[in-house]
This record gives sequence, C-alpha cells and structure tokens, in this order.
Amino acid sequence: MFEFLIHVSTMACLFGLLALSLNLQVGFAGLVNFGHIALFGCGTYGAAIAFANQWGPVAGLLLGGAAAALLALAFARLGRNLGADYWGIATLSIAEILRTFATNEQWLTGGAQGIHGLPMLFGSLPAPWGPLATLGLCAVLLAVCWALCQRLVNGRYGLALKLLREEPQLASSLGYDLAALRRTPLVISGLIAAVAGFLFAHYTTFVGPDQLYSAETFLIWSMLIVGGLGNNLGAVAGAFLMQFLLAYVPFVKDALGLPSEFVAAMRLTLVGGGLLAFLLWRTQGLIPERIGGRHA
Amino acid sequence: MIDVSNVRAGYGDGADILNGISLHAAGGEIVTILGPNGCGKSTLLKCIAGFLAPRAGTVAIDGEDVGAVPVHRKVRGYGVGFVPQTDNVFATLSVSENIRLGARHLPRAEREGRFDALMRQYPTLAAKQNRKASALSGGERQILSLVRALIAGPKILLLDEPSAGLSPLMMHEVFDAIAGIRDDTGMCIVMVEQNAFEALGIADRAYVLTLGTVAMEGRARDLLADPSMRELYLGGSVAG
Repeated sequence: MFEFLIHVSTMACLFGLLALSLNLQVGFAGLVNFGHIALFGCGTYGAAIAFANQWGPVAGLLLGGAAAALLALAFARLGRNLGADYWGIATLSIAEILRTFATNEQWLTGGAQGIHGLPMLFGSLPAPWGPLATLGLCAVLLAVCWALCQRLVNGRYGLALKLLREEPQLASSLGYDLAALRRTPLVISGLIAAVAGFLFAHYTTFVGPDQLYSAETFLIWSMLIVGGLGNNLGAVAGAFLMQFLLAYVPFVKDALGLPSEFVAAMRLTLVGGGLLAFLLWRTQGLIPERIGGRHA
Repeated sequence: MIDVSNVRAGYGDGADILNGISLHAAGGEIVTILGPNGCGKSTLLKCIAGFLAPRAGTVAIDGEDVGAVPVHRKVRGYGVGFVPQTDNVFATLSVSENIRLGARHLPRAEREGRFDALMRQYPTLAAKQNRKASALSGGERQILSLVRALIAGPKILLLDEPSAGLSPLMMHEVFDAIAGIRDDTGMCIVMVEQNAFEALGIADRAYVLTLGTVAMEGRARDLLADPSMRELYLGGSVAG
C-alpha cells in the first residue's frame, strides 16, 4: 500500500506539472490548446530517443525541451492567422499528426511498440528509496514550477496575459505585442510539459504512442476545470484530486463488490460526471481565480 | 499629421471594403468619419491604427509611410492612442490601474506625474480611482478609456464610436471631454461616429463615406448646413 501511495503521488506530481503548464496557456493567456499532450510527448520521446541512441539522460532532457520549445513556437505561429476556436482545433490536429508520426516512424520512435527499458532515475537505490527519491524530485520540480508560474502571473506580465485573454484588441491598443505575448507562455508551458514527459518516461521506463492520445489532453483539461482555471494552486489541487480519485476506483469497486469490468466505466463516469458537475454548478472550480490585483 | 492616400483594404480574402479612400488630419483638429452602417468607417480607422494593413495606397504619419506598422508599434513609437468602440476598459481592475496601464512603458516617475495631472483634470474619475472599472457608468467608462489613452501623451488620438451605447446626456459629456482634449493639447483627433450631427458639432472637418468611398468631405459647419447630409441620415442617399 505504501508503494502504491508513492506511485499515485508521483503520478499526481507529474500531472500537476502538466496541469500547471496548461493553466499558463488556457487559464491566464486564454490560449485554448487541445494538443497539449504533444508537448508532453516531446519530453517522453526526447528521453526515449536519447536512450535508444545512448546519448544519456541530460541529452534526452535537452532534446525534449528543444522539441517542445519548437513545437510551442509552431503553435504560436499558427495563432497569428487563426481565431481562438480554430487554433484549438489546429493544435488538436497537430498533436494527432505527431502521434501518428510516432506510431509509424519505427526507425526513430520504435513505432507502435514504442521504446522500452529506459533506466529509472534512481534505479540504483533499493526499494522503497528509489521510488521515494523519484517522488521527491517530482515534488521539488512541481514546487519550483509552481513558484515560477506564480511569479509570472502575479506581476505586470500576468496582467498582460489576462488582457490578451479577455480584451486582445484593447491589449494591442495599449502597445502590447500580441504575437510575443502568445509565444512566451506557450514556450514556458512547453518546457514544463517536456520536463514532466522526461520524468514520466524515466519513471515508467517505457515510451509509446498510446501515451499521446488526445484523451490525455482532455484529462488534464478536466483537472484544470475541477481545480480552478486561472489559479495555479487550483491546477495542482485538481491534478492531485483527480489522480487520487482515479487511482482509488478499484478499491471502491472491491468495497462495493462490483465486477472488474466496472473499473474502466467508473473511471470514465468519474471524469465525465465530475466535469459536468463542475461545469454546471461550480464553473470557477474548487479554488477560483483571483480577480483584480496590484499589477500596474 | 495623418495622410491617407488612395487606400484599398479588406478582411482576409474578401472583397475590398475601402475602395481608394484619401483623408488628411492635422494637429489641433478633430476630424470625424461618418456614414451609414457597413460603409467602412471602422475599417478605415483600423487601417490608420494598424490593426489592418492596406492592400494598396499609403497611410502616413508625419510623412512616413506606416501602413504596414502594427498597432502596438504605432502606440509605442509613433504617438498613436487608440480607443476601441466597446469593451474598452479592463472591468476587473480599478480605475487607477486601468489608467496606469496606458503608460506602462514609461518610467515610474513620469507615469505617476502624468497620472496625478490627469486626476486633477478629471476630478470625477479621481473620486472613483479606487473603484473597479466595472462599477462605472457607460459615460465614465468612455472617459476612463480616453484618459488611459492620454496618459501615454499621444500626438494622435483615434476614437472608434465614443458615443456608442451612451444616453444623450452622457454622449454630450464625452463629446465635451473630446473637444476639451483638442483645445488643451492641440492633438490630432480622428473620430468615427454614428451620431453624425452631434459629432459635427465638435469636429473641425468631416468625411462622409458610402460603400467604401468618400462621398462628401468638408468643414463640419458646412456639412451641418448641407441638406444632403440630412437626406443621408434621415434615410436618403447622397447624390454626389
């Protein structure tokens, strides 16, 4: 049970990083990204390709980060010509194209079988110290990224992002460069997602295209909506809550004496039903965005 | 100060909305752009501001062609202030925060000096400077958006229908404030308006557009007396 708790906490930290990074785009800058999982995939495949070519984990991290930054810049470039809704669809399309690429380009990505056998970051430590050290690293990185996001969104830059989200024409008329404003949160968000992907790859020791389904993006969206869009603490809280709820579904199934096939259905019901409940009755999420501020 | 010459412009791949328009506005005057809905008034203002690049022709400020310069660079580098038609205040921020946003690129001392001077000039806003902008009336919001544009010290002010959605009383308050800005600062003001006769009351010169072309132009007082203006705004058409 202790090891299971460590595992769920580690996954919660990784999803917390993803929720934080998506929140920077959606919650603060109003960039409705439906292809966020592709940025995470840059991190996972960066780690896997570096491993397959024996370049070492540092090269994997750099490769994943560089790929995520480039992809984020490509997303931003698309945003110059598309409205917000069309941009969201375009990001979803790009993520699907990249997943299809990962599935078919076996020479680079291992194809549908993926790449196995990545080393755990603290694999030389005996259990439970290895997983505990990984959890510690993930928790520290989550805290660092949370502090970075807080610093970004609480100052005048955060105000600029909110202006971009709510009144883009007004922001332009105040001298803000909207293209640059879109680029920065996308790149920072991409880097955070890539770090999460890198850690995930070395934690699960396997990278494959099935990890990049768009359903994963919508799971992160659900975490944000439940936790509170536009609030960094809310994003992390949503990720932890959803992760723990999903992880403990099998225990509920056992307690209620339900058959095993109910687990997947219960998980889907939990995500869909919870999302619907929050959209209907608490649109601001568990920890709402702080309105106003001392920005100027 | 502003010279628009034979500008053709439109959105995306669509047809031209402006079909070869020319316009001139000098310092110390209010030039109003009038015309029925869909004639291209706001498109022309967006072209001058830099939201839309002309397909042909030139938009020049002080003799320099700035047709391809985007709005954020015009605001910071060419002394252009733009006040959008609606949604022109940041509702969740206070009045003072809204105003200071307009001068965010200036050094703090200069920004605060200008802020204090504007608060003396607009005591109604000063009295509400700590309230959320959402708590202001429509007219007060328009004044707030004007003041926010002024704090940057522009030499050109572009106003997109400043009286939109205002009651007659508030509209006069806003127009008085605009006339006051011209008289006090000698700024070049270009204003798109639907309320033609009220706009002509404070403007020095006017351009009347129909279907993307200039149908009439001249001194505001002459246009006010022109019977074809009344015909146009009471449902008729401009003969030529």
